[in-house]
Amino acid sequence: MAIIVLAPMTPEDIATLIVRTSLKDRAAFDLLYRQTSAKLFGVCLRVLNDRAEAEEALQEVFVKVWTKADRFAVSELSPMSWLIAVARNHAIDRIRARRRPAADIDAALDVADPAPGPEALAVAGGEADRIHRCLEELEQDRADAVRGAYLKGESYVELAERHAVPLNTMRTWLRRSLIRLRECLER
Amino acid sequence: MTASDPTGPERDDDVLAAEYVLGVLSAGERQAVAQRVEQDPAFARLVDAWEGRLSPLAAGYAEVEAPPSVKAAIDRRLFTSSAAQQDRTGLWSSLAFWRGLAAAAFAALVLAVAVPYLGAPPSPPQMELVASLTAEGSDVRYVAVYDGVRNEVRLSHLAGQLASDKDFELWLIEGKDAPVSIGVVPAGSTAQLTPPVLVREKLAQGAVLAISLEPKGGSPTGQPTGPVVAAGDLNDI
Repeated sequence: MAIIVLAPMTPEDIATLIVRTSLKDRAAFDLLYRQTSAKLFGVCLRVLNDRAEAEEALQEVFVKVWTKADRFAVSELSPMSWLIAVARNHAIDRIRARRRPAADIDAALDVADPAPGPEALAVAGGEADRIHRCLEELEQDRADAVRGAYLKGESYVELAERHAVPLNTMRTWLRRSLIRLRECLER
Repeated sequence: MTASDPTGPERDDDVLAAEYVLGVLSAGERQAVAQRVEQDPAFARLVDAWEGRLSPLAAGYAEVEAPPSVKAAIDRRLFTSSAAQQDRTGLWSSLAFWRGLAAAAFAALVLAVAVPYLGAPPSPPQMELVASLTAEGSDVRYVAVYDGVRNEVRLSHLAGQLASDKDFELWLIEGKDAPVSIGVVPAGSTAQLTPPVLVREKLAQGAVLAISLEPKGGSPTGQPTGPVVAAGDLNDI
C-alpha cells in the first residue's frame, strides 16, 4: 500500500509524487522531500549565500510545493525543472527583497559552486550540450553574465557593477544575448 | 520588433519572460511579471518555455543535504495542530493554511460524493480509483471514479458552468505523452464514459485525468484545444 521506492527515481516517479502531493498525500510529500530537497537546498544556498536564510527559504519552498503542486499538472516542464523553478523564483524574490546585494561572491563560490560534475552533465545529456554550445557562441563575458544571472540570481544592477558597464548597456547585452540564445536553441 | 534584428534593447513579451526566468529583474518588476503569469496563460507558456530552455544550467547547483530541522519545521508549519494552537494569529492569516483547509474540505466532499459509488460489496481496492479534478483559477470541479471491473469512468459535476456552445472533454495524461481522449463529458450532474480499451490499463495504474474546454462535440484535432479547467490524479481510496 505504502509507496516504497528506492533511489534513483525517474522523472516519471517524481512527477507522480508531485501529483500525489497535490492531492494532499503526505507520504508522497515526505518522499518527494527526501528525493529532491538536497538539490533545492543547493539552489537556495547558491542564490542566498547565507545558510540560515537558505534553510528558511527551503521551508517556504516546500510549503509552496505542498500548496501549489496542482500547478504542475498544467505546466509543460519536467518535474525537476518545475521544482527548481519554484525554488529559484522563491530564492530570487527573497534576495531582491533584501536591501543589500549578496555579500561576497567569492564566499558564495566557496560555499557551493561545483561546476556541473560529469555525472550531472551526463544526466542532462544532449539538451545540456546544446545550451552550453549556444552559450559558447556568445562573447565570453556575455555568456558569463547569463550563467551568473541564472545560478546566482544576480540583478541587472549587480551584473552591471560586476562587469563595470552602465546599466543600460547591461540590459542591451543581456536582451540581445537571450534572443541569440533562443535562435541558437531553435536551430 | 523582430527576433532576428535585435538592434535595440526593446523588450517584447518573450524577452520579458526570459528576463524573469533568468532572474535579473528588480523586485517590483518581478512582482508584476509573476502576477501576469497568474492571469495570462499565453504569457505563462512563454515563461515555461524559457524555464525549459535554461533548465540545463541548473546542473550547476550542488546537492547539499539540508539539516533535519528544516523538514521538521515544514511539517510543523503544514500539519501540526498544536502549532495552530500556539500560533493562532500567524496561522489564521496564513494563505497556506486556508488553502490547506479548503483542500481538506474538498477532500471530505470527494469522499461524500464518491461513497455512494463505492457500494456495499467490498470490491478489490485497486479496481476503484477516485480523482478530484480541480485547477487553480478555474471554478470547474468534478469527481471521477474509475470502475476497473465495468471499465467505466463515472463523473460527478460539483461546480462550474459551461457555455452552451462548448463541451467539456475528459483526457488521460501519462507523463509527458500526448493526452488521450476518454470522451466528451455528457451534460448533467452525473455522467458515465466508457474509455477506449487502450487506455484501460493506464487508468487502472492510476493516471492523471484532465478536463479541457472544447468546441461543441469535442476537440476537432484529437488533442486538447482549450484550457484545462480541471485535473487530478486517480488514486486508491
